[in-house]
Amino acid sequence: MLFRFAAALCLTLAALPLNAAELRLAATHTLQDSGLLNTLIPAFEAVSGIKVQLAIGGSGQVIKLAANGDVDAILSHVKTQEEKLVASGAGLKRHAVAFNDFVIAGPPQDPARIRGTQDAVAAMQKLQSAKARFISRGDESGTHVKERELWRAAGVEPKWAGYLSAGVGMGQVLMMAGEMQAYTLCDRATFAAFRSRTGMEILSEGDARLYNEYGVVAVNPARFPGVQAAAASKFVAWLTSAEAQRLMTGFRIGGQQVFFVPATAR
Amino acid sequence: MDILASTRQAFALLLSGDAEIWTIVWISLRVSLIALAVATPPAVVLGYALAQQRFPGRRILVVLIQGLLSFPTVVVGLILYILLTRQGPLGSWQLLFTQEAMIMGQAVIAFPVLTAFALAAVQGADPRAHETAVSLGASSLRAALTTLLEVRFAVVAGVFNGFGRVISEVGCAMMIGGNIAGVTRNIPTAIALETSKGDFAQGIALGVVLMLFALSISVALGMLQGRGGLK
Repeated sequence: MLFRFAAALCLTLAALPLNAAELRLAATHTLQDSGLLNTLIPAFEAVSGIKVQLAIGGSGQVIKLAANGDVDAILSHVKTQEEKLVASGAGLKRHAVAFNDFVIAGPPQDPARIRGTQDAVAAMQKLQSAKARFISRGDESGTHVKERELWRAAGVEPKWAGYLSAGVGMGQVLMMAGEMQAYTLCDRATFAAFRSRTGMEILSEGDARLYNEYGVVAVNPARFPGVQAAAASKFVAWLTSAEAQRLMTGFRIGGQQVFFVPATAR
Repeated sequence: MDILASTRQAFALLLSGDAEIWTIVWISLRVSLIALAVATPPAVVLGYALAQQRFPGRRILVVLIQGLLSFPTVVVGLILYILLTRQGPLGSWQLLFTQEAMIMGQAVIAFPVLTAFALAAVQGADPRAHETAVSLGASSLRAALTTLLEVRFAVVAGVFNGFGRVISEVGCAMMIGGNIAGVTRNIPTAIALETSKGDFAQGIALGVVLMLFALSISVALGMLQGRGGLK
């Protein structure tokens, strides 16, 4: 009796993954923390009948997962690295999915006086000369890559006591910045999703260098035979369809649109 | 991913005295040792009281302490977060995402372990030590010290076990420490971060240090048990 029950259980467990088609998707913290994936994934699952297994990480990690063939498709926001992934043969084609922009957020008191500074590089220089408290993602994420780009453009080595490298996701960095009254670089969508919880304000925005574009790449089945190529290509096709784009442009946080499509290639 | 190459790189990092790695190790040790120093005295007093004294609620306390032995560390993190956040009751202390917050968390996590060991140690002590002390005219404090001195190895074994529990704890440390480089990034949170970045060398290096700690603890415990006659 017990043996038959155990055998039945084993068979059920073994059969589970075969019942429904599955897609292993790796996506970035900002898409998760902003809440967009909670809208997109169920909609895709309903349309396709494919079950999505979601892994969340920084873009650096997400792209590594694809490069190692550990997932079937990725959503990330470092275009150069996505293109490198495709060029290496590990990824198929990169498709632009959506875009928005980064903002420099900080405490309402704005001790470094960057409010209204549209030039992001000038704002970063002010943060440095004020030795302001700044929390960096520090995790090779898309946001971290953008932040380093800005410091480089500003000619600043971010190494003062108040510069804190946190190594956690976007949402948690915002919570930390709110707690510690610190500045941080953040995508507009996650900022909006966490605004009421953190009490932070957007202090610098609108610089063209703050452009933030999300892309999708399916992993190459010729390189990694284990990947769910059909599910991945369905996902890519759906994500770039009019229906998915309507969901993204219709996605609101506090009545505000935070994702835009179609992404214009820059 | 080449495991051999990562491992070679890991040992190169350790042996070259890589400042980043040793900072992380130092933060781990500092936080855990201070937490144990804070938690041990009250835990030993409570353990002794639970073993020797008879007072109402004693049974409940013993069951509670035993239950807390397997209390999820992330729940400790959650409770401390709620207490320490700016809007929380202790928000004015501004301790969230500091080493002090991590020390509080680890002290709370270690406390039931330390108490349970002290309790078991005193219960297992030869009652003649206490009786003799009392019959020789020792005060109850003096007699308590005599008993504790008698079972010091078992109490210290509790401290080692508590150290083993907190030095490798990641959930609470990540939640209320925030994994800030050079401040609240300890060995477990650093390993979690490096693995998530796909940089395995530093993770392996820190893992080696952590396992060396665990090994020294069990060697030390083995020696203590030999000396304490526990076998």
